[in-house]
Amino acid sequence: MGEPVIRVEHLKKSFRVKGSFLEKKQYVRAVNDVSFSIEKGETLGIVGESGCGKSTLGRTILKIYQPEEGHIYFEGTDLTDLSEKQMHPYRKKMQMIFQDPYASLNPRFTVGEMIAEPMEIYRMYGRKERMERVRELMEVVGLKPDHIQRYPHEFSGGQRQRIGIARTLALNPEFIVCDEPFSALDVSIQAQIINLLEKIQDEQKISYIVVAHNLNAVRHISHNIGVMYLGRLVEIGPAAKIYSEPLHPYTKALISSIPAADPNSAGMMDRVLLEGEVPSPINVPAGCPFSTRCKYCTEKCRERMPELAEADGRKVACVLFQS
Amino acid sequence: MLNPDEYFEPLGELEKGEEAVAVESKSFWKDVWDRFCGNKKALAGLVLLGIIVLIAIIGPIISPYPYDGMDPSISNQGSGLAHWFGTDQMGRDEFTRVLYGARISLMIGFVATAVNVIIGVIYGGIAGYIGGKTDMVMMRIMDVIYSVPAMIYIILIMLILGSNVYAVMIGICVNGWVNMARIVRSEIITLKEREFSMAAFVLGASKRRILFRHLVINAMGPIIVTATLMVPQAIFNEAFLSFIGIGISAPQASLGTLAQDAKMLLAKYPMQMVYPVAVICLVIFALNFIGEGLEDALNPKGRD
Repeated sequence: MGEPVIRVEHLKKSFRVKGSFLEKKQYVRAVNDVSFSIEKGETLGIVGESGCGKSTLGRTILKIYQPEEGHIYFEGTDLTDLSEKQMHPYRKKMQMIFQDPYASLNPRFTVGEMIAEPMEIYRMYGRKERMERVRELMEVVGLKPDHIQRYPHEFSGGQRQRIGIARTLALNPEFIVCDEPFSALDVSIQAQIINLLEKIQDEQKISYIVVAHNLNAVRHISHNIGVMYLGRLVEIGPAAKIYSEPLHPYTKALISSIPAADPNSAGMMDRVLLEGEVPSPINVPAGCPFSTRCKYCTEKCRERMPELAEADGRKVACVLFQS
Repeated sequence: MLNPDEYFEPLGELEKGEEAVAVESKSFWKDVWDRFCGNKKALAGLVLLGIIVLIAIIGPIISPYPYDGMDPSISNQGSGLAHWFGTDQMGRDEFTRVLYGARISLMIGFVATAVNVIIGVIYGGIAGYIGGKTDMVMMRIMDVIYSVPAMIYIILIMLILGSNVYAVMIGICVNGWVNMARIVRSEIITLKEREFSMAAFVLGASKRRILFRHLVINAMGPIIVTATLMVPQAIFNEAFLSFIGIGISAPQASLGTLAQDAKMLLAKYPMQMVYPVAVICLVIFALNFIGEGLEDALNPKGRD
């Protein structure tokens, strides 16, 4: 297999917390030592609870935030230290679909202007072909090309998300970060958008990172799943494996929290209930971040963060599975 | 029990997959215009201003008297058929002079405002968008400029350039843009955190493009309102300067100069004072009404 589309190595990003100026400077470790890679045409789902750094991870990969440590490779090219100008050609290939379709569309632009804009920025096609292409893209994402002159406030949430997707596709990207693309939509629309994303992936061999907390939706769309807890990747592997037999104690708790359609079904897992609260990301416990809530926690866990290690066809960061 | 059949009947064949859109598609500006027209006061202001501007432009051209044509034999006449507003102490036709003065006053108002808007939007936009230290330094420079009273700038500029239209305009602009810059800056600071600005960044848009194509266009509402209220401010400042005798000098005339000329003979010929002052009032009223109407039209409550 060739070079993966995206390879991330030991990525770290933290944000300064505003304190009064006499206090010690404090930092939130949003993304802490995350590594993974995505092959062409594959989808990596990132799950985890709110505030675990999922969105930050997606944005750091696109260099919306400058990473502090670690490297991001796009098809083998190290993007980490490129200036904004040097990033320009890569931006075209790495795109993003936003969480909130109400906020991510400029309210003063018509749909046509919005979808044409990225092509204008990259000087793709002539004016006439561009309009042609806008209509084509609208058709691809299931919007009526007649609506080209309309403004975003005239569309429903699902339609706006389609506008966002069409705008992203205008650049023929090879990699898209979908930052909670479903969470602002209702369930029936979620399904439509998932199907649309899958259809586009099949046709254009695009790789996705799908960040979400809707575990069922992520399972449906992802080939691989990464589970994050407090900025760390605690388990990563094929979606089927992770959902059917999660290994990391946190993943177990997370997967068991998915409501079952049929509560009496044989496959229903026992509920794993977590005790206590998520520790503040400002004071992440030493060692394994999950150690404060883990029932298998031992002295060893509190000393050192275990590395991601191969176990049963996936990687887990837990002392229980270290060889 | 109600029988639903009495109230409902089956719908005819609908076109497949057609989503009927009930409301006519309206752009933001069309919407604003419609709401503006619904406001009688604002619309009256606009019509009044339109009439004054129109007369001020064509009036002096079709008037049989030149604005500076003196004729001592007919000085200080009252209103009559030949001279609608009478004549001044030099025998110049007051009607022509008032129109000519209105033209100069309006020109100063609009040109000074245009300059203020351009400088204010660019300066405030850059400060707000870049933020951090750049913003801090730019804001402090602005504070320094603003801390010196406008009158001092104007008088200094008059000393250098002499009493003419350009000096007044530059004088008004020296610190007139500061308010605009402040408003634009604060708007941009909130707008740049909105997700569509991040979306534009991800799509590869340059800083300049994000600022001027995405953010400023969303700040147009407050910019327009502020600009509309800047025009009467500038007209008033010019009138004031001319009235205290440091504005535009004879034979040119602005509305302020005319009022100043009439001051000496106020007790005997009060009408010479009334006409220019009335025009100033009308212009300022009209512009304030338009400004208020625009403010309501641009920020209706409960709209996103």
